[in-house]
Amino acid sequence: MRHAAPDCSVIAAAMIAALSLVWPSAPVRAADAGSNPSPQAKDWADLAKLPDWSGVWTPNVSDQDARIKSDPVPWNAQAAAQIQRLVAAEKAGTPKGLFINCLPESMPSWMLITHNALEFLFTPGRVTLLGESDGNRLRRIYTDGRAHPADPDPTFHGHSIGHWEGDTLVVDTVGVLPQTYIAVDEAVGLPNNGDLHVIERIHLAAPNVLHDDLEIIAPHVLTKPWHTTRIYFRQRSRKYDIVEGVCLQGSFSDGVDEAGNAVFVPAPQTEDGNLVPPGR
Amino acid sequence: MISTTYEGAHVKSLPTLRLAAVLSGVLLAGAPAFAHHSFAMFDFANTTKMPATVKEFRWTNPHVTLLVVSMPKPGEPEELWSLELTSPGNLTRLGWSRKSFATGDRVDLEFNPLRDGKHGGAFKKATIVATGQVLTSNLREAERPDLK
Repeated sequence: MRHAAPDCSVIAAAMIAALSLVWPSAPVRAADAGSNPSPQAKDWADLAKLPDWSGVWTPNVSDQDARIKSDPVPWNAQAAAQIQRLVAAEKAGTPKGLFINCLPESMPSWMLITHNALEFLFTPGRVTLLGESDGNRLRRIYTDGRAHPADPDPTFHGHSIGHWEGDTLVVDTVGVLPQTYIAVDEAVGLPNNGDLHVIERIHLAAPNVLHDDLEIIAPHVLTKPWHTTRIYFRQRSRKYDIVEGVCLQGSFSDGVDEAGNAVFVPAPQTEDGNLVPPGR
Repeated sequence: MISTTYEGAHVKSLPTLRLAAVLSGVLLAGAPAFAHHSFAMFDFANTTKMPATVKEFRWTNPHVTLLVVSMPKPGEPEELWSLELTSPGNLTRLGWSRKSFATGDRVDLEFNPLRDGKHGGAFKKATIVATGQVLTSNLREAERPDLK
């Protein structure tokens, strides 16, 4: 009977485990692919070599609008017919809001249509995007060399891994819920319907101008990958600091309960989420 | 005392408002919905000008709302109008704060009205009569880096 070749990673893990018994502070970094190692001084120092993306980034909304025409979405025939109806409703002044339930704008729509600011945090092994207005707006991009999980649980923002090519962060995102929209504005877009794959190349196009070059692969609604760019401007004034933005807060009014406590009271909403104007 | 927000066209006494709050908003018929929505229901080709008095300034995500009472001509009833704006974060960057308007402020308003003719609009500009301060809210006028 032939013995299977020993698994090198098992041996390495065992050696490290043994070493750690006699030397508790022994570094157990990269050897264990299933854990997040404690960052070392070099890891923190290496962050200084990355491009400076500090500050708050505000979107170029006019350019978002312009790209509806300049970078048309390659919808397939069935999707295009639906989009046509959504555009017509919008033009008629009866928009069918995609995000009126206040679920996250998600990937890729957060990057595509946001009117709100975002910021980047660099920490060892990760880039984190934090946003505003959409309370759940948060993306974790792992830059520690890991791969995507073989079968990730679908989420609103998916599973993102990134690596640096020079000063460009290349981000690969999979594992996104099929219900998340590919949107060109708040009332025109469709669910990706599954198997969404987003590749982004994020880089400075000028000292204070950031570009996110997106390639959106959505085989159930697009005929080919959609290439488009979103532009953000850097702000350093503190009045641009990100603030809390809980989308659902606006669905409640301030009220007082029987005991005099400050409480939120649900405010009735219309079916399409539009403002109900006061009547007489 | 915690103020209770707008709950319809009519000015209610506090006990009535509290009752409405206790009843979980069921009686808040006509209260505005603030969900994160499109602005396509507003007619951006037309601007309405209106003198009014501030009733309530809701500094709330995702859309701030200004509720005003129109200044009617003699013999006509007051009307309550609701004007929508962008988020508190975006307005802060345009120089606003949650105290930009106080209840009772007299204002000269400009807004893009709802297309269906109801009493709502997308805020465009307000001049506070007492101070002459002008407030605008166009994000597209702030599309460049390093704004002060």
